[in-house]
Amino acid sequence: MMDKSIRVDDSAKNIHAELRHLADSISQIIKGIRVAQEPIADSRNKVPQATEQLERVTQQTATATHRVLDMVEAITSREGEIETQMKELRRVLPSTYFRNNSRVKRIVERICVSASANQNDAYAIMDALQFQDITSQQVDHAISLLEQVENRLKDVMVGLQLDVGPENDVKRKERAYDPNANFSSNSSEQSEVDELLNNLTKEKQNN
Amino acid sequence: MASLKILAVDDSPTMRRIIVNTLKRAGYDDVTEASDGKDALAKMKVEQFNFVITDWNMPEMDGLTFVSQIRSLDEFKDLPILMVTTRSVKDDIIEAMKAGVNNYIVKPFTPETLGEKIGQVLKSVGRS
Repeated sequence: MMDKSIRVDDSAKNIHAELRHLADSISQIIKGIRVAQEPIADSRNKVPQATEQLERVTQQTATATHRVLDMVEAITSREGEIETQMKELRRVLPSTYFRNNSRVKRIVERICVSASANQNDAYAIMDALQFQDITSQQVDHAISLLEQVENRLKDVMVGLQLDVGPENDVKRKERAYDPNANFSSNSSEQSEVDELLNNLTKEKQNN
Repeated sequence: MASLKILAVDDSPTMRRIIVNTLKRAGYDDVTEASDGKDALAKMKVEQFNFVITDWNMPEMDGLTFVSQIRSLDEFKDLPILMVTTRSVKDDIIEAMKAGVNNYIVKPFTPETLGEKIGQVLKSVGRS
């Protein structure tokens, strides 16, 4: 009888110790959550700042690109004008000026070649400006990933019953991007596409 | 070439400007711009176009939906459509062809590629 009572007493002590240990653990977890609350909330609050910054990058790059396009259009227009003027010069000057290897002929030809080279280079600049569309898609992809992180952090805060703060009423911009958008001037990509298109066309014809 | 009335659909104003300039350089002066599929459909209701160049990734209405919608209409079933997009994954290209595009260009493109593809599309529809 006495043995039994000692055993019960020991068990109660053990349970008490276990409960105390559990209470300590919970207390530590709560402390941990309190410590984590601030960085989680801080991280969540910083995501909109980061997306805003990225959007500014896109906007400023677009503005700068359009300025460059303005210049390129002005250059190509002037180069076209030079070509027209050179033709006019050939028309109004006596034909003797352009005889065989005359100095005037060589100068006019050189001006025409330079004007044409300038125009081609200006067009090459314009073609390269396609980077703006491609990088803005890459930025949009990064923003979407950040927004996913923001939402997950919010879920964590809700799960931990932390204060998520006021909801942001700003309507999020609808983003349309290719997550694999890549600025590569490698023509092999188009060749591969062309090969696939040819095969698809052949298949269609055979069916 | 001069009679071609082109609708260029892209959500990027930069890309639209580059496409318009490239087309002008190739001799295609009559180009109208649209910022997405929805805008393009609205323009097609009031104007007649005989060539469409469209991007894929666009808000409001993407290029694939736009192509599917116009192909479902009798009046546009033979309209030449060229897709110009960053998407280069095989399955995407197959999907675009199934939706009804006549040809496909991967961005960034060269002016030569754009000119060649327009020529190929016109030839394939018997308009060259």
